[in-house]
Amino acid sequence: MPTLIIDGRSVTVAEGKTILQAAEEAGVRVPHFCWHRALGALGACRLCAVTVLEGPQKGVRMACLTPAMDGMKVSTLDESSWSMRRSVIEWLMANHPHDCPVCDEGGECLLQDMTVAANHAVRRQRGRKRTHLNQDLGPFIEHEMNRCIACYRCVRAYRDYCGGDDFGVLGSRDRVYFGRFRPGRLSSPFSGNLADVCPTGTLTDKTFRFRARPWDLEEAPSVCPHCALGCAVIPGARYRELLRVRADPHPEPNDGFLCDRGRFGHGYHNRVDRPRRARLDGREVPPAEALDALRERVERVAGQHGPEAVLWLGSARATLEANALLLLWARRLGAAEPIFDLSSRRHAAAWVFSRIGAERRASLADVRRADLAVVCGADVLAEGPLLALALRQAFRGGATIHVLDPRPVELPCPAERRPLAPRLLPEALRLLAGGDGERLDAEAKDGLLRVRDALYQARRPVVIGGADLLGPEGAATLRRIAAAGDGRDAKVALLLPGPSSFACARLAASPPDAGEMARRIGSKDVRALVALEADPLGEALPKFAADLGRVEVLAALDCLPTETVRRASVFLPGAGTYEQAGAFADASGRVRAFEPALRPGVPIRQMLDGGHPPRTFSREIPGGEAAPAWEMLARILGLPPALRAVREELERVFPVLRGLSRLRAETRDELLLPGDDTDAPLPPAAAAAPEELRLLLSEPFAGWEILSAHAPDLDVLRPEAAVALNPADRAGLGLAPGDRVRVESEGLSESRIVREADIPRGLVWATRRRGSELSRLPAGEMPACRLRREGDP
Amino acid sequence: MSEKTPQVLFANRRPGLAASLREFEQGGGYRGLRRALRELSPEDVRRMVSESGLRGRGGAGFPTGVKWSFFPHDAPPDKYLVANCDEMEPGTYKDGELLRADPHQLVEGLLVSAYALGANRATVFIRYDYESAAGALERAIAEAREAGYLGERILGTNFSLEIHVHRSAGRYILGEETALLNGLEGRRPNPRLRPPFPAQKGLFGRPTNVQNVETLACVPHIVSHGPQWFRELAAVKEGAGTKLFGLSGHLNATECFELPIGTTLREIVEKWGGGVWRGRRFKACLPGGASTPYLDVRHLDLPMDFSALEKAGSRLGTAGVTVFDDRTCMLRVTHNLISFFARESCGFCTPCREGLPMVRDCLARLEAGRGTLADVDWLREQVPRINLSFCALAQGAMGPLESLLRLFGDEVLDHVGRGRCPLGEG
Repeated sequence: MPTLIIDGRSVTVAEGKTILQAAEEAGVRVPHFCWHRALGALGACRLCAVTVLEGPQKGVRMACLTPAMDGMKVSTLDESSWSMRRSVIEWLMANHPHDCPVCDEGGECLLQDMTVAANHAVRRQRGRKRTHLNQDLGPFIEHEMNRCIACYRCVRAYRDYCGGDDFGVLGSRDRVYFGRFRPGRLSSPFSGNLADVCPTGTLTDKTFRFRARPWDLEEAPSVCPHCALGCAVIPGARYRELLRVRADPHPEPNDGFLCDRGRFGHGYHNRVDRPRRARLDGREVPPAEALDALRERVERVAGQHGPEAVLWLGSARATLEANALLLLWARRLGAAEPIFDLSSRRHAAAWVFSRIGAERRASLADVRRADLAVVCGADVLAEGPLLALALRQAFRGGATIHVLDPRPVELPCPAERRPLAPRLLPEALRLLAGGDGERLDAEAKDGLLRVRDALYQARRPVVIGGADLLGPEGAATLRRIAAAGDGRDAKVALLLPGPSSFACARLAASPPDAGEMARRIGSKDVRALVALEADPLGEALPKFAADLGRVEVLAALDCLPTETVRRASVFLPGAGTYEQAGAFADASGRVRAFEPALRPGVPIRQMLDGGHPPRTFSREIPGGEAAPAWEMLARILGLPPALRAVREELERVFPVLRGLSRLRAETRDELLLPGDDTDAPLPPAAAAAPEELRLLLSEPFAGWEILSAHAPDLDVLRPEAAVALNPADRAGLGLAPGDRVRVESEGLSESRIVREADIPRGLVWATRRRGSELSRLPAGEMPACRLRREGDP
Repeated sequence: MSEKTPQVLFANRRPGLAASLREFEQGGGYRGLRRALRELSPEDVRRMVSESGLRGRGGAGFPTGVKWSFFPHDAPPDKYLVANCDEMEPGTYKDGELLRADPHQLVEGLLVSAYALGANRATVFIRYDYESAAGALERAIAEAREAGYLGERILGTNFSLEIHVHRSAGRYILGEETALLNGLEGRRPNPRLRPPFPAQKGLFGRPTNVQNVETLACVPHIVSHGPQWFRELAAVKEGAGTKLFGLSGHLNATECFELPIGTTLREIVEKWGGGVWRGRRFKACLPGGASTPYLDVRHLDLPMDFSALEKAGSRLGTAGVTVFDDRTCMLRVTHNLISFFARESCGFCTPCREGLPMVRDCLARLEAGRGTLADVDWLREQVPRINLSFCALAQGAMGPLESLLRLFGDEVLDHVGRGRCPLGEG
């Protein structure tokens, strides 16, 4: 633990830290461009020059490369290092445009800050500036190469950290160029990070371009709602419009990186068709009136027909508080617990997983540190993109990644792939947990035994499963793997559908039973339906949706223009994620709080009738009636509509939530929900499904949850309407690649184009397209299906 | 040129003809290899090289024995030995001459050095336009393999080696050893961060020793004749061995000579170079390639050895001596050199990528008589700051600039004072 003095401040740091890191710990900011907390030191920009006054190597040194040593005395203000930094700025500014007022980075530009800090005001260099041609990099990232200072952060982020391969450094000397070989859309699903890591206006967020200056933005620490990983984000808004989302540079949980769904999927907040007025029986009413009506009507139905006549639907995308209050409401009326997920399989998997001991559930940081990872039945890049990125960091640290999946799932790093039919996945996992693998053929078993050996030898292994394909049996096997301690730090993760999936499952008293859920949804006795940020009419199988549409009281709380909202007799406009405070529990059961970046209201831009800002006056914010769902539910339950009071009440009712009211968003506190410590028996092997054509629905990257499905910026990333088959199956069906077929299953059908894929036989692999007929099929159930060439009878 | 000096590396040199294996063997070739493999342990060879005082011939002059002592010779394979024949330093052509004259010198040098280091793979990284040298080397490798000097179980011992010849795509930066390794791996030839040094983590992450061609060629002779003999080859006590001096510039004879290390600059210019051309006088020279600070008439009696030149504020470098006559504008020379370095920068670090072009433009202004005293001050500021570059390329570029301002400061100021080149060339 070396102790050194930097600018007169004494600091003791861990072995192996650099002077730059030691200075950060001492509260001394050493200017830098190429150094980046997550990308590390490079030594290219030479701005972090400091003077080592005492130590083994005296003189001007680069702080990012020089190890901090005991007894060192370092100055950042010494003339020799200060003049070096001034020269670096002079060199860089010789060719950088002097047009900050028209640069989108202005105000959050590191070069601007450093230029001012270096007192650089006069350009001594005569002659013309170097210029470059810019490239069209697609809809997300704007390229202005003249602003580049060649810090190499972009290539290190895009290629090294994110595993992209279509962006890099070209050319040499003072003509180095950062871009693509040819102009075109960046193919990495993590391309948006370029805007965050670029310290200048070279690579900026195109969707946010020239919309606001950073100092005019309203920002707040928030949590991304677009999958279950709970990435720390900082949304920014201006004039009641959500304008951008950037990654929180905080190292946990997402290491300062985001996927493009999380970054560009927020457009649902600003939609013109967003329902913003409360409605009662088709007429707009004040929200209080709708709220009273909702409480009265639900209580009346429950009173007259018994609590079983009311069906509550919770939501993976609503806050922890709202879901917990919904559960509380159902309990108060003596009803069964709400249905938290229309897919009982998913919810049951989450329920089992949420009981695993807290210390055995892998966080993203655990995955990044892993020395071996097994991914079983999960399309990580679609279902939890930052987990895929964490796997890449594990790979970069030397880990081997094993993928057990029927699909050729993409990862941003190389992996050992073992294709397995979906029905064999739980069995494969059982084998890894010590089972005998009796249903596996010799070859598959042999390969999996080698994976098991590697798993047992690894010191920090992580096993990641997908809730859809593994189901509750798979989750139970994960629990078994995690429990097999024997000194290894084995951890497990399960990809869940949304930011509240874990919390809903943890709060639910018993695991849902598929048959029971169908019975409840399909019951003719249901007379009132309360849909909290859920769209049963748009998403459930038609046989259920039709009945649910006919109930006496159809209540919806939401911010999206869903089918359920359109047909609701009682509608309450909800706040979007970034418009409210609340908390989410990520897929590993870590609860994080968030604060609102903006208040709900019609964006001023949508009110510019004729180009001018509105000139009318009002006491109300236009469209400002939307409220957080937890606030509306608190009013219904007679609780004070204040978050602190709600959280204290929830802590009282649900002991697992202890500590919730002390969570702070601004410090990125985490509350790790406890598991329960009962032993986990290995679940029995599931019966093999009969061999026939089965439909395997995968989730898309853009639109895997309904929020990003409503984000216009992501339209360019929507999946193709295709269906993929094993080449032998395709030939056997007499189909050719490119043929148009109708895919029929469970009485639903839609048109798709035939493709080939390297998948096991007997599978029809399609990616879910929001709003299409087949998208109503519950996740992970793999129903039988039929393909019919279009035009054939 | 009548008087003969001891010829070690150039003993078999004939105009326009590469020495064959037979000629090489008749001159004592592969005797060092036989002795090393049959009589000496790798440790013996390393000790002999260390005692010989051999210093790297590629420019930096680092003691080879010390460099070898860092190499983890006990580490498991693969371990690489790389011969650096990038030789893109302006004014330097000695390695090409050596390979064209006697390519087996390098083959034997690689064999003995690989044996000493425990390296099991050898690669020659050769400049893109040294095609004739690469061809000669490949023929020599084929001959050596045929004769049992290369391949499996060489000379019946347990020692095996293959030599791979890699032709560079051609950039000056590839002479920097870590950029060279990146180039060999198929990556952008940016220099790498040290540590880890190539000895720990070099080519494909394995221990690697990168050595100049001439350095490697000296090793078998040290093994054959002993370190003491090698030391005594030098003309000065501190030096060791002979050195290939590649003469260029304003001399009557611009050739490559093998001379004892420590031969005076005057002897090199007047005797071996045949004196300054056109009856003019000596003004200055680059003693060891474009990245070494100038010497002027005051330095003519200096022995051309590493330590003597360091004391004089310059470096022996590659011993590619480029002489300038008294009608040469040194500002113009420096502008030309800096233009080369600015062009050859890999673009990785700021001082080199952005600083060198600014220096180049400033020199161009001064040379054209449009410079100001502020420009001269600005140039002086640049030297210590550009010296803080990531690798030695920009630091090398500062050699001529620093010595221009130190030795020819008046000439530079004259450009400003007169508003034109005082030598009439501007």
